[in-house]
Formats: sequence, C-alpha cells, structure tokens
Amino acid sequence: MNDVIRRSVHYLAAVGDSLYFLGSVFGHIVRGRVRFVEVVKQVYEQGVQSISIIALTSLASGVVLALQGYVALTRFGAKDAIAPLVALSLVREMSPVFTALIFSGKAGARITAELGTMNVSDQMLATRTMGVDPVEFLVVPRLLACLIVLPILTLISELIGIAGGYLVAVYEANIPGVFYLNQTLKVIHYVDFFSGFIKVFFFAVLIGWICCYQGFVTNGGSLGVGKFTTKAVAYSYIFVIISNTILTKIILTFWG
Amino acid sequence: MIEISHVTKTFNGQRVLDDVSLTIKDGEIFVILGESGAGKSVLLKHMVGLLKPDRGQIRLDQRDVTPLTEKEWLALRKTMGYLFQEGALYDFMNVFENIAFPLEEHTSLTHEQITKKVRDILQLIGLQGVEQKYPAELSGGMKKRVALARAIILDSRILFCDEPTSGLDPIRSRDISDLIRNVTRKLHCTTIITSHDIANSFRIADRLVIIKDGKVAALGTQAELKVSPDQFIQAFIG
Repeated sequence: MNDVIRRSVHYLAAVGDSLYFLGSVFGHIVRGRVRFVEVVKQVYEQGVQSISIIALTSLASGVVLALQGYVALTRFGAKDAIAPLVALSLVREMSPVFTALIFSGKAGARITAELGTMNVSDQMLATRTMGVDPVEFLVVPRLLACLIVLPILTLISELIGIAGGYLVAVYEANIPGVFYLNQTLKVIHYVDFFSGFIKVFFFAVLIGWICCYQGFVTNGGSLGVGKFTTKAVAYSYIFVIISNTILTKIILTFWG
Repeated sequence: MIEISHVTKTFNGQRVLDDVSLTIKDGEIFVILGESGAGKSVLLKHMVGLLKPDRGQIRLDQRDVTPLTEKEWLALRKTMGYLFQEGALYDFMNVFENIAFPLEEHTSLTHEQITKKVRDILQLIGLQGVEQKYPAELSGGMKKRVALARAIILDSRILFCDEPTSGLDPIRSRDISDLIRNVTRKLHCTTIITSHDIANSFRIADRLVIIKDGKVAALGTQAELKVSPDQFIQAFIG
C-alpha cells in the first residue's frame, strides 16, 4: 500500500513538474525571449531529418488507401469515389496522425537524445554557470520548431498521399487524371483542413513538450539517455493516439 | 570574499554536507580536498548557486546569496567562471564558438573584437590553431584548456574548477595546474578548486580545506596541514 502511495506521489510530482516546465517554456515565448537563429537551425534539422521517411510513408499510404478503396468501392459500383475517399482520409485523419507518429520517432527522439546527452555531460549545467537560461537557449527553439515543422510536414504528407492515390486511380482504376483532381479539390473543404491542422498543432505541442522535458530531466549517463529517449517516444505515441481520439470526437461534434 | 556558514545538505536521507563553515579570501587560490564522495563538488555547486543548502548561509562580498532565485543567479554568474571536470564544452560548437559563446551572450562586442579576444585567450592558455576543431577532436587536456578559456573569457572575478586534473597524466596535470595559477594571478580573480590531487594542490594553493564525510576536517595553509596531529589528515596528504 505504501509503495502504491509513494509511486502515486512520485507520478503526480513528475506531472506537476512537467506542467511547470511547459508553463515556463510558454512564459519565455510570451515574453518574447525567443532566439530566432536557433529556431531556424532547429526547423532545418527537424525538417530535413523527417522529410524523406514521411514522404515515403505518405506515398505508400496514399497508394494502399486507393488500392483498398478501389477494391471495396468497385463492389458497390462506386469506384469514382476513390478521390474523395483518399483525400478526406488523408487530410482529416491519416496524414496528421501518421506524420506526428513518425515525427516523434525521428525528430522527437533526436530532441530527447540531444538534450539528455547535454544533461549527462554537464553541458546543461555549464549553460547555467555561464549565466544563460537553458530553457531559453535550448528548449524554446526546439519546441517552436516542432510547431513550425509538423504542420509543413503534414501538408507535404497530404500532397504526396493524394499523388499516390492519383497513381492508382489513373493507372489501376483507369479513372481520368483530371477527374480525380477535380473530385479531390471539390470534396476538400476548409473545415477538413482546419480539423486536421487543429490536431497537428496540438500534436506538435505534445511531442515538443514530452521530448524536451524527458531530455531536460535525463540522468544516469549513456544508459539514461537511451532510457529517457525511449520513454519520450513511447509517451509521445501514446499521447498522440489518445488525444487524437478525443480531438476527433470533439471536432466531429462541433464541425462535423 | 566568500563566506560559508553552517551549510548542510542532504540527498535522499544521506547528509553530504554537515555544518560546513569556511571563508575564502579575495584573490586566493583555495583548494577543497577530500576523498571521492566527500562532498567537494556539492560544496562547489552551492557556491555557484547550482544547489541550495537545506540549512546555512552563503555570502558573496557580504551579500547573502542563499535566497536568490535562478534568474538572479543567472545574472550573478556572469561574473563567475566554472570549469567542469570533463570540460562540458558544447558538442555542436567548435572551439572558437565555444569560447566566444559567453561574449556573444553578455557583451555587445563586434565579431572582430570577439575574434581578437578569443585568439588572445587561446594564446594565454597555449592553444593555437584549434579554433575550427570540435570537442570530439580534442584530447582530454586540450578540452580542459578550452573549457578554462571559456570560463575566464568574461574576466571572471571568481573561478570555480571542479577536479581540473582528473583523468590527465602527471605532466598534463601539472600543466593545467600551473595554467590555473597563472590565470588567477593575471586576472586577479579568486579561484576555488576541488581536487584529490595532493601534489598539484600543494603546488598552487594559498590555502586548503580537507572535507571528510561532509565536514571540515582541516583548514589552513600547506604548512599548517602538514603539521596537523590528525591521523586522517596525515594519511590523506601522505
């Protein structure tokens, strides 16, 4: 019983500490304590690191979605509906979630590993001894970069996924390309983009917060860096999936 | 002047510092000696505000710094330099960028002025032609020199050195100890060193303290420690 209480207290303290950490990061941003050069560097690193795998996954998703859609819709004589199926599935759900999951595995893991290594090799402490706030110098740029990069990657993922669907529609289902594109443009409304991007911004904060925090509290040498990095990616996955379920319900309730 | 009064610190039920009191005078080289785990680094971290004491007080130039917030400490640390045991140089910056970092953060010097200052300090520490190298390309001794250069680039009033000779061979240990002494005299700063390197500590220290189990076991000059009747002190200093 004592062990349960001790663990609960420890867990609550960690949650409180991480919330305080997030508050501190946003406090810096609100007060304008943002290093734009560092943000640009992080945008470049996070974006470049994730773009190829996201492009590949999105293309495959678009192709598979169109292939499966083609088989299923043909049974109902509705193969022309491939374009709306692919476009809406990607824009509303698949691209935001898949991109967030891949991003947390690539860029998120990198953030935790970098900050964690800096922590265990005293670079974080050195920052403080030089009179520089490590949250401002190391955390704020990384979290802001997540907020910039993830929406861009999601947009790229949507375009590439739709292109994958186009290939199947044109070369497998023999649907005219112009028809596919017209259908795609007609079916996507601003609310579809909007609902997808609300999720994306939320996921970006979640991933940036979890990965930066885990890096910031890493201890235990190189083993600790591995442990905290794995933990950061696992937490990011879990929270992205859970929050996606909740956000989808909220968005569907209010905007349809 | 740094005054430490009755400082106590406990981690997970283990008392690491136990009622430690001592005074460090301006301009002196003060060495904190002790066995591994005696509490030397913990004491040093209290002086630079990286740790807060559970009890007791730390005063810098008559000012009680114990209750300062992290924001106030950040401002105060601009006047201090801290040499970490492993250097703690930024992996993602080369030597030039590492040394220039405090100048870019806290001064309005132009790029040319910063370049000149970095070159001057590299000359002072006897390292030239390494500006473009990254920490991973440097030897242990070179890393410590670069870290020392970064610690003093803002003309620090107080220099803290945590185990500056650990991991170095006897010749490099002697070199880095001499360098710390020369830098202290040149900058007229106060230098506080933690070490268990008795020979080099005795060579450069004005005064020394020996910490045992978190308590002050002995405090004084080299000559005073050598005549101490305490068996542990005699065994420790050999």
